[in-house]
Amino acid sequence: MTLLERTMTRREALRAGLVGSVGLYIVACGGSTGGSSNAVTLNWITWNDHYMDDQLKAVHSSYQIDARVTLETDDSDGYLKIKQTKGQFDIASTDALWAPKFHSDGLTESFDISSIPASSQLYSVARDFPFWKDGSKTMGYPFGWSTIQIYYNPANVSPAPDSWHVLADSKYKGKVVAENQPTDLMAMAGLATGAKVPYGMTTDEIAKAKHFLQTCKPQFQKLVSQNSDVVKALADGSAWIGIENLGTDFRVKDAGGPTIKFVTPSEGTYGFIDCEQIVTASTNKDQFPKFINDMEQADWIAKNFIANGRPLFNEKAYKLLVDQGQKERADLLLYNKPEEALKMTLKGPSSNEQAYIDAFNEVFGA
Amino acid sequence: MTSSAGQAEAVVRGAGAIRARPRAVLTSRLGEYAGFGPVLLLFGGFFFAPLVLIVAYSFWQVIDYNVVQNWTLDNYRYFLSVPTYVRTFIATLWMTALATVLTIGIAFPFAYWLTRYVSRSWQRPLLLLVIIPFWTSYLLRVASWITILGEGGVVNRTLEALGLIHQPLSFLLYNRWAVIFVLVYLYFPFAALTLFSALERFDWNQLKAAMDLGAPPLTAIWRIMLPQIRPGVITAVIFVFIPILGEYLTPQLVGGVDGVMIGNLVVNFFVGAQYTRGAAIALLITAIAVAMLILFRRSLVLEQVYGR
Repeated sequence: MTLLERTMTRREALRAGLVGSVGLYIVACGGSTGGSSNAVTLNWITWNDHYMDDQLKAVHSSYQIDARVTLETDDSDGYLKIKQTKGQFDIASTDALWAPKFHSDGLTESFDISSIPASSQLYSVARDFPFWKDGSKTMGYPFGWSTIQIYYNPANVSPAPDSWHVLADSKYKGKVVAENQPTDLMAMAGLATGAKVPYGMTTDEIAKAKHFLQTCKPQFQKLVSQNSDVVKALADGSAWIGIENLGTDFRVKDAGGPTIKFVTPSEGTYGFIDCEQIVTASTNKDQFPKFINDMEQADWIAKNFIANGRPLFNEKAYKLLVDQGQKERADLLLYNKPEEALKMTLKGPSSNEQAYIDAFNEVFGA
Repeated sequence: MTSSAGQAEAVVRGAGAIRARPRAVLTSRLGEYAGFGPVLLLFGGFFFAPLVLIVAYSFWQVIDYNVVQNWTLDNYRYFLSVPTYVRTFIATLWMTALATVLTIGIAFPFAYWLTRYVSRSWQRPLLLLVIIPFWTSYLLRVASWITILGEGGVVNRTLEALGLIHQPLSFLLYNRWAVIFVLVYLYFPFAALTLFSALERFDWNQLKAAMDLGAPPLTAIWRIMLPQIRPGVITAVIFVFIPILGEYLTPQLVGGVDGVMIGNLVVNFFVGAQYTRGAAIALLITAIAVAMLILFRRSLVLEQVYGR
């Protein structure tokens, strides 16, 4: 009787199972500590435009720091994940006024930005954003920014819009596309209806914003999950108006679409300034400056700009882009005007998120 | 060894055997249940425990992005008091029911044709064709319909090329009908395979006998065949209806603003960190699914479904 033909006894089966379980456990533990004894793996909750795969590989091979990326849908998603998983994450990417929220709730901690040599490559305004100041320290390492505005196809949208109220114009029924970001769309509606603090609206202001969205609803064709879906809709002509961040006109052109123009609505606009923060419960906090220094070098940031097309805060990368013949594109996307970032309504936590989501769902439900 | 010594040894051995027996029985019992362990771990740890947590969440509140354990019925009260959610629930139910009826309605004639008129050597390749879409990702299967039905899609371009239309037809996408159409496409294989399995074991002579005795074909199918394959039909309904009830991706991609289902509103709650509201509405969907299972419980005999 060969080994394969012989029936396995129950004891052997249990033993094999035990050995297998122990083996899996060892492999799993090995995976979490990294393959090499010197390598460090940092768990990073972020967005997919904050890194490039080549960049992570290069940082790993040069500096033995690996990054395991978890994508977040929004700041609130990151907030809850960090809160619930304690020290599972080492670095968090956060937006504008969300960073102080993370910080004040003890999820992240501030650091001396000058301890990161790459910070000398940043625009000076970015090193001193007042809302990220924590005494002599800063809450986050500045990465990029963008306003959210109206993009429109001039062949179909006339006259050129100058207000968010174009979204309520029945001429454009079924021709508007935006990303499905309930809180931000409510803030946009707040801007349109004159709310004083779009991310901190009162009950009356929320009601006005909700009513505005209701009048806009017939014009919305769809609420999508990705920027690329808005680009696609504008490129194939199925949408004439999109609510998106800087660079969408270039991305539509790159996708073979028509010339798209953008307008900053007279009521003002909103947007994000994002950064990388140290998670307080991380056990690898000492690796943060080194990792960020490696990741934020000008040549990588310039590549990131070319790939994703929105302004970043690395001034040295701007100079590289100018040298590479990208000045026109960089200037059109306001890369050389970081101070513009402070003129928009900054993205942040809502003072009454539940009321925002309730109102949004009540508009966009059946 | 003297006989008395032998007897004594036998007694000792016997006592040992008696002591050893409960241990052996216990080991044997543990061995019998060892196979149940992984399932217990999987469903206990990764299904039942999270379900209990979701139930608890549905009675809690979120205050300033923190889940606070204040026991309340507010989340349920809110859904039942806001007409939008009731309307969305009703829309979801009729869309799900219609998609299920259409799916079964298309799958049944196919399975009937396959089992009755196709030779056994061709049945397997044809069934393989039915499940080929499963080889690609669910997301791609849905997204491909945007390329087919979109304004610049295959259908519109073909109609334009044939001179039948001069402007792209916009009603092919981003409405409830587009969602139902794509759902039927997505869930057809589940229904077809289940119905094929049921029909394969049906005794066709009974149908012939009924018709020989004068029953019209549809009457014979209705009176003779359907009662016998009812468990298969009910299984197909369950396999199609319940997953569609919680659908989120298909309405998100091809439904647009007009094709929203209740799953989309659940997602908005989770995007906005309103976990307790999301948990409550998710449980309402689960309650409908459970109610449906209870409704069909008496008709569903597993032996009949799987042909034991």
